[in-house]
Amino acid sequence: MEVAAASGEPVCIAPTPKPERTPQCYGVTDGATTGQIHIDANSTVTLAQVRGAVSISKVSKTFASRGRRGPGPVDALASVDLEIEPGEAVTLLGPSGCGKTTLLRLIAGLESTTSGSITIDGHLPAQTRSRKQIAFVPQAPALLPWRTVAANARVLLDVNPNAGNKNSANVDELLRSVGLGDFIEAYPHELSGGMQQRVGLVRAFALDAPLILMDEPFAALDELTRADMRHLLVQLRDQRNSTLVFVTHSISEAVFLSDRVAVMSGRPGRITQLIDVPLGRPRQPDLEDDPEFFAITRQLRHELSKGRAPS
Amino acid sequence: MRAWWIAPFVGVVVFAGLWEAVVRIFDVRPFVLLAPSEIGTELMATPGFFVENALVTGRHMVIGLLISLIVSIGIGAVMASARFIEEATQPVLVLILVTPWVAYVTSVVTWLNFGEAPIVFMVAFTSLPIFTFGVVGGMKSADQSARELFASIDARRIDVLFRLRLPAALPSIFTTARFAVGLGLAAAYFSEGAALSNEGLGAAGKRAAAFNNGPTLWATIVTTAALGLIGLGIITAIERAALRWHVSQR
Repeated sequence: MEVAAASGEPVCIAPTPKPERTPQCYGVTDGATTGQIHIDANSTVTLAQVRGAVSISKVSKTFASRGRRGPGPVDALASVDLEIEPGEAVTLLGPSGCGKTTLLRLIAGLESTTSGSITIDGHLPAQTRSRKQIAFVPQAPALLPWRTVAANARVLLDVNPNAGNKNSANVDELLRSVGLGDFIEAYPHELSGGMQQRVGLVRAFALDAPLILMDEPFAALDELTRADMRHLLVQLRDQRNSTLVFVTHSISEAVFLSDRVAVMSGRPGRITQLIDVPLGRPRQPDLEDDPEFFAITRQLRHELSKGRAPS
Repeated sequence: MRAWWIAPFVGVVVFAGLWEAVVRIFDVRPFVLLAPSEIGTELMATPGFFVENALVTGRHMVIGLLISLIVSIGIGAVMASARFIEEATQPVLVLILVTPWVAYVTSVVTWLNFGEAPIVFMVAFTSLPIFTFGVVGGMKSADQSARELFASIDARRIDVLFRLRLPAALPSIFTTARFAVGLGLAAAYFSEGAALSNEGLGAAGKRAAAFNNGPTLWATIVTTAALGLIGLGIITAIERAALRWHVSQR
């Protein structure tokens, strides 16, 4: 939650979800005036800067040619600009080969830009990564076959345990909340694809990172499971107010999940349109039957087909 | 439904029967090939002798293979860290693999003097290339998406090695270990003879050969084979426990 306060004055907040209860007041110990409240085990209150803002400026990416027999140099992205507010959900939507995955990987710092810069809260992606403030969800669940479900969900916490948020979530609780309570000690090979991807979601959210990057995580799932997964995702997201950057080629996914949709077209990739999705939060599953939802879906489909070459 | 042991049992019995028959029918000289019945007699005459020497040879093999495994994990980790190092090391490993080790055993003995050192060295050195190839191949089989996941939190190299690449390499390492047992046992047997060791099946076998003692020679051969079977059995048992999660165990 975001609270404004003058430095040194007590901060009073009403505990949710029953606002008629008397507000709790805390002394402010940090010099910042707006930000998220963190209350640690000793009831020390600090206001931390809201995090997860991504700034992409004139970014381009060219993959070098791989010698005589490989493909020539590939212009994956040409001059992309995008500002993502903290707590916002932005979807990169476009056909295959438009560079949306490349852009996501550049934000994560898994590739480096050919030109232009990307900063996360003013820091380089590499610094943000080393503080475990990026939660990356790859396309395949990528569970480690030799670890149980619970151990897999904890794996990002186990690596570099001193970096990152020390108040990371209770993994078992998260697994139960996504419906995997009976499978905590199971091995990945005993789970279906949808269940494995749910473990992947828990693994990402267990980090409690301010920025979550997802690369078409539901692409390999059937339609019904995909719907369940995006409903689950908004629930998890809303509890934490993290910034979400999501790559997909599914229009309904894009509209349901995001506050803004960046429509991309390819070769070389660029953002052709930024569409607002003013559907409010929290997003309930029945939103997908809403006429306004259809209107935005139609608008996006129109934008996407504009960018496609005639077949 | 047949019991699982019936078919292998029948196979071995038929093989032993044919062997016995060939020796008797063609009156084969004991040094060339001894009948199973006579080998059995020889073993039963002084079982303690063969068991003690089997333990010595077994020890040489196990220590040599463990050293080789540990060194190969180290080399494999270094090779996996840089393409250049991998491509530079590979020809050297192949060279070791194809060079006939029986040819340089005496040189190794001269270098390391008589005793256990040259024997263990030969076991370790001959099995090093195959363990290294097994480790490197296994590490490369680690899921690309999982590697990116680790990169996304800036995992240290050592974390990626122990939490991702080595566990991913385990199935390959077990497969390689089976070949390594055969190779290691041969290296142990032959090196014991070359090092003029007092103990070990290879030493006993060489002495028996020198005195034209067919029964003892063949008894050591059969005991060594039995040692190999035990080694494979142990590997399978460990594999079953360690690879509960792997597709090969289901």
